[in-house]
Amino acid sequence: MKLKTVRIFVLTGLLVAAVSCQTPPVPPEVEQAKDQENELWRAGAPVYATQQYIRYLSSLRLAKGKLIKEKAKFGWFRDYKEVQAEFQAVLKRGQTVLQSVQEEKALKSRNLTEQLEALRERTQRIWKLILTVNETQLVRRSLAQAEVAMMETEVLLDKKKYADLSRKIALIQFHLSQAEEAVFSILERYADEVQVETWRRWAMETISESRKKGTTAILITKLERTLTVYREGKVAATYNIGLGKYGLSDKLHAGDEATPEGRYKVIKKLPQSRFYKALLIDYPNDEDKKEFSQAKKRGLIPRRAGIGGLIEIHGGGEDSLTGGCIAVEDGVMDKLFSGVSIGTPVTIIGSLESVAELLASLK
Amino acid sequence: MKNLVKFLILGFFAVSLFTSCAKQPTQEINDTKAAVEAATKEGADVYAADELKKLNDDQTTALDEIATQDKKFFKKFGTAKEMLAKVKADAEALKATIPAKKEAAKNAALTAQQEARAALDEAKALLEKAPKGKGTKADIEAFTADLKGLEDSFPEVQAALDREDYFGASNTAATIKEKAAGVSEQIKQAIEKVKGKK
Repeated sequence: MKLKTVRIFVLTGLLVAAVSCQTPPVPPEVEQAKDQENELWRAGAPVYATQQYIRYLSSLRLAKGKLIKEKAKFGWFRDYKEVQAEFQAVLKRGQTVLQSVQEEKALKSRNLTEQLEALRERTQRIWKLILTVNETQLVRRSLAQAEVAMMETEVLLDKKKYADLSRKIALIQFHLSQAEEAVFSILERYADEVQVETWRRWAMETISESRKKGTTAILITKLERTLTVYREGKVAATYNIGLGKYGLSDKLHAGDEATPEGRYKVIKKLPQSRFYKALLIDYPNDEDKKEFSQAKKRGLIPRRAGIGGLIEIHGGGEDSLTGGCIAVEDGVMDKLFSGVSIGTPVTIIGSLESVAELLASLK
Repeated sequence: MKNLVKFLILGFFAVSLFTSCAKQPTQEINDTKAAVEAATKEGADVYAADELKKLNDDQTTALDEIATQDKKFFKKFGTAKEMLAKVKADAEALKATIPAKKEAAKNAALTAQQEARAALDEAKALLEKAPKGKGTKADIEAFTADLKGLEDSFPEVQAALDREDYFGASNTAATIKEKAAGVSEQIKQAIEKVKGKK
């Protein structure tokens, strides 16, 4: 009986020891850390929080090292308390990294979206400036390239490929700069205050003469693409016009497809013309001849080039691309033809307003 | 009794000899690492990034198991070897899938390139057919410039193809195609406008 009691006592003791000394389970934080590391990688931590991610990985490695050390012990001697605390710290650090990644991505996305928005506005400003300009080949070519890159950015932004997006933005900026350079070269004269002042003076003199003499006068403004008829110094009508390919430039010689600037007169009325009806003006005048001669001396124009002539206001439509003449709709031509006589002053200017502010907005 | 003690001591030493002196499966480790590296070089980082990440994780788990066993008195590398063998097999299987994925991406990019070319050619042909005259000259010049801009962008598709950036090539080509189609539409509208005037 006594021996039996001792046996039961020993067996119970062994059972209790076996149960209490069971191998403790690996803490759940270990598996959670594995999932978290995956989540961080997917979120782009190696890219968006590089240093923090490296530090996180290093702490994860240390924790794993402790886990390995603990796992290497005999089951009865394993104690995961320290390992658990270590992995809890890793999880906390990982959470901070994840938050940083999300913040960095949101910031990048916001910045890039803002940059893209600014580039879109820049593109629109260029389009606005070139709407009335014909010599836009270079500008439009660059704008087309910029717009291709701009459309690509939408896909990249959607896929959160921010590094590729930054490269595309740089490409858009390059093309837009080229477009702006081209715009500048065309419109530079229109931002020159001295030049604009001269044009204003010509316009004022023409209108004042019309008022004083009670006559009709025509004012053509190239940038605004308008032809205004003044009677006794008052606006009688304003029409849209078409110019040549290089219509915004001042005509220097034959074949330059530019429209002359200056104070002219109607010298002939042509009831039948290649372009419906026409009013021939006295280009080149004395000032034009002087400019032509100076430009030739300075080698600014081809040696064999002549000064040109036959500059008309003619029909054919305001969307015409002329060789330097001023085109209007046939209906408008009818009105002009009947309301204008030989000797009517025709003043052609670049613009009454400086585009300096507009050009400055491109910078 | 004396023999039993001797037997136990000998047995203990024999077991110790076979277990504590078990060596790390170096060859398996190297083979597995090489297989994962080969899959990465094949382009798994681009065409199967998630699968590659899983592969790397599994490799780390296997190496952790080796490190655990390495610290034990009784080392057992059997499980680690099985894990390594699985990672190696998975890496080889993943590597084998990459050429097909790459080829599919390349074909998609080439198709997109052809479609962009066709859209550009169609726009150019349309522009050729557009009635030329003073009334349309400005529009024609403008569309010509737009198409030149698109033509200038077109080599970017080939450049992306050459550096095997097939997704980038597809994206650029799709954009050019869309823009060219837009220009074609504008040309058609301009032609209609001229017809309406006549």
